[in-house]
Parts: sequence; structure tokens; C-alpha cells
Amino acid sequence: MSFTLNEGENIALIGENGAGKTSLLLAATGILETASGTIEINGIPLDRKTIHAVRRQIGLVFQNPDDQLFMPLIYDDIAFGCRNLGLPEEEIRTRVDETLQKLNITHLKDRSALKLSGGEKRMAAIATVLAMKPSFLMFDEPTAFLDPKAKRLLTGTVKNLKHPKIIATHDMVFAAEVCNRVIVLKNGRLMADGEPPLFHNHELMQEFGL
Amino acid sequence: MKSKTHELYVLEQLAGGHTWIHRIHPTVKLFTTAVFIITIASFDRYAIGRLIPYIFYPLLLMVISETPYPVLMKRFLLALPFCFFAGISNIIFDRAPAFTICGIAVSYGVISFFTILFRTYLCVMGVLLFVSVTPLAEITLSMRRLRVPYIFVVIFEMTYRYIGILFEEAHSMYIAYSLRSTGSRGIKMRDMGSFAGQLLLRSFDRAERVYHAMKCRGYALQTLPKNGRPAEQKDWLYLFSVCFLCIVFRFTDINASFGKLLGGFFHAQNK
Repeated sequence: MSFTLNEGENIALIGENGAGKTSLLLAATGILETASGTIEINGIPLDRKTIHAVRRQIGLVFQNPDDQLFMPLIYDDIAFGCRNLGLPEEEIRTRVDETLQKLNITHLKDRSALKLSGGEKRMAAIATVLAMKPSFLMFDEPTAFLDPKAKRLLTGTVKNLKHPKIIATHDMVFAAEVCNRVIVLKNGRLMADGEPPLFHNHELMQEFGL
Repeated sequence: MKSKTHELYVLEQLAGGHTWIHRIHPTVKLFTTAVFIITIASFDRYAIGRLIPYIFYPLLLMVISETPYPVLMKRFLLALPFCFFAGISNIIFDRAPAFTICGIAVSYGVISFFTILFRTYLCVMGVLLFVSVTPLAEITLSMRRLRVPYIFVVIFEMTYRYIGILFEEAHSMYIAYSLRSTGSRGIKMRDMGSFAGQLLLRSFDRAERVYHAMKCRGYALQTLPKNGRPAEQKDWLYLFSVCFLCIVFRFTDINASFGKLLGGFFHAQNK
């Protein structure tokens, strides 16, 4: 498959289970090694030497926020990435506070992830990557485990983020609201690349197992 | 079990406190803890009396850091069986009498048994208090600053994270199991093997996903902060005070000196 994410684009990556959505996101961050082909992020080809530079550009929000929130407090989780960037403690504090304010979750700052609701965990997981100021964002099933209220909140938040995004999802309503481009995957291959009206082509969607 | 999982992180949460000791430079705290432990370990196995003055360190740290004693004691109790079984053989094999109290002979084995217990108590308390006043991120950063090999730092951090994951996975598996086991409490012996195996596989899988999430956020232990906080006057003062006291207690018998002082005082009073 071959595609480019441009400035201002929000791509919905859709496909049946096992189509390769998550694998594609993991490959883009260098977590999964590709057998062939190239991945280029902001002009930097992804390889062993550039992997850290590439990861600084990408903010990947995992499907399960529990995988992303592993520190005792939300503050520490958000600060984790900034610390790995080698930032001084004062700047880390500023970045964490800014991110919490941006997402309206300042009340979660000193709380443990173990005590948060699904929606709060999801927002905290987004904050962990936003604090690193990535060039673009990738979401893996962002609406999974969320109730309708949390989903509405998330939709508004994701829409407000100016970064270009790739969103792997099964949630067509969410994708239609947030994304301006659709890529359909099947068995690890790119089957279609178009605009949101693609969602309404039911025959095509059924053909792709959706 | 959920509350147990939460308890695991209590010490780390306490590390986010704002007392005077929390603000001491992490490398200084790491170094003083190491000095404290090494000094304690250097004593003879019968020197229980010489270890008593060292109680000052955990006691002071606990009061200053406002760390609740039960939190520490619960964790110490986990280490107790290990030192208990390590020391029990001394009572059996080292039976030479050391002294008698009210006609009861106390053997060298008993003294060394209690020395092991007390030594373990001091060392475990020292480490627990260090963890409760220093965030994990600062501990690993200090280890890296002290040039501890990369692999040891990673093993330390990953082991710490894995314990939490193991508990969380065990919790969700136990709930799923209980809901389908009719009326019985706990895990049946016949299911124990598959439960443990599944737990291992699930926790490995989860640990890998957590590690991926860490790597995605730049976890590679390659970037040290460019302008880390330098040690201040109070840090140096703390370092020298603790090290000085540890060394003084090591090379002078404070108990004997104190005894002589008291003896001299009562002698003068009687005159």
C-alpha cells in the first residue's frame, strides 16, 4: 500500500478485524518491522538510525488506555514522554499543565489511572502524547470502551486538535464526523482511498467486510 | 485484589509529596541509602547492639517525609519470611552459649538470628523510605547519572512495572473465574495450573503492549536532561550528615560510650 498524510488531513483507517489497521500504525512508529517498503515521516525515512527522531514526530494513542497509563499518577504519565525528550523539569511542568488545560482535565492531574472512568482514561492517554508536541497523531480505536457521553466529548476534542491524524476505527459515525479522508484496508492491502461519502456506499462497505 | 493493586502504587504516590526530604536531590538520596545499607551490611553477625543507633535514619526519614508507618511495615512483612528462614539455621547450628539471663543461656545463634532480622528491617526500611520520597523516574535518572549499566536500569524499571501488570491481570482473571465458578471461593487446585499459565501469557502480552507504549513516547534511556537540577547546599549538608553519622556509628561503639557516660554520671551522683 502507498499513501501520504498531508497537512490538515484526518484519515479514517477502516477495515474488518485483522485487516491490518493496528499493524500499520505500529509499523509507522517502528514498533513492528516491515519486511519490505519504506515509511517516511516528515521527510525522514524510518530505519534503525532515525527511529527516535521519527517517534518524536508521532503521537500514537493506543486502543486500550490501560496500556498507555502505567505511572502512579496522571501527572507522571503525561510527564513520562517529556522526560524521555530530555526536557528540564520546569518545562515538563509547564507542558503538563498546558496539556491538561487544553483537554479540560486538570482535575485528573494528581489522580491514579486505576481510579478513572473509561472516558477520563482516554482523555489522559491523549494528553500523554499531546504533551510531547508531535507533528501528527494516530489513534487506534479511540471510541472503544466509551459510553455515548464520553464519545461525544472525545469527538469534540479530536476535532479541535489541529494535527493531521490517522484514526483506525470501526465507528463509522465518529469517523464521518472527524475525518475528511477514508482509507479502506483488507487483508493488509489498501482497497479504497476517498472522501467520507465512501461510508454511504453500502455495497462497497459490505464487500470490504464492514 | 483491586485494592492490593492500588496499594502497590501507594509508595510511588507518596513520592510525589512536598516535604523537605522530597526536595533533596535524588542522586544524593540514592547515594545516602547505598551508604546506609553498605554500612549496616558491614557489621559482624553478632553485633546487634551496634546496629541500634542506626534506627535514627529510618525514624527521622519517616517523620520528616510524613510516611505512614503501617504502609512501610506491611511491605517489610513481605521480606520477613525470607530473613526468618535465613536466620533460623543459625539457632540450630550455632549453639555455643554467649551469656545467661535469669539462668537461661542465650546462644550465639540466637544473637545472630536477631541480628539478621534487625539488619533486614533497617535495610528494607531504608530502601522503602527512599522509594517513598523519590519518584521512580528520578530514581532511574539518578542510576543513569551514577553510570549504572543500562541493562540494570531497564531491568529495575521493567520489573517494577511488571509487578503492577501481573496484579491487574490476575485481578481481571480472578473476577472472570469467580463469576463462573459456582459458589466456591478461591481458585480450585485443578484449575491452578491453567490459571497460572494463562496469567503468565496474558501478563507477558500486556507487558509487551505497555513497553510499546513506552517506546512510542521516546523510552530508550538515551536522552539525559540537558540541564538537570544541580545539588544545592542543603543537599550536600544532608549527604555529609548522613554519611558522617553512618561512619561514626560504624567505627565507634556509641552504646559503650553512652554507657560509660551514664556510669560516670551515676558514679558522680552517688559520691
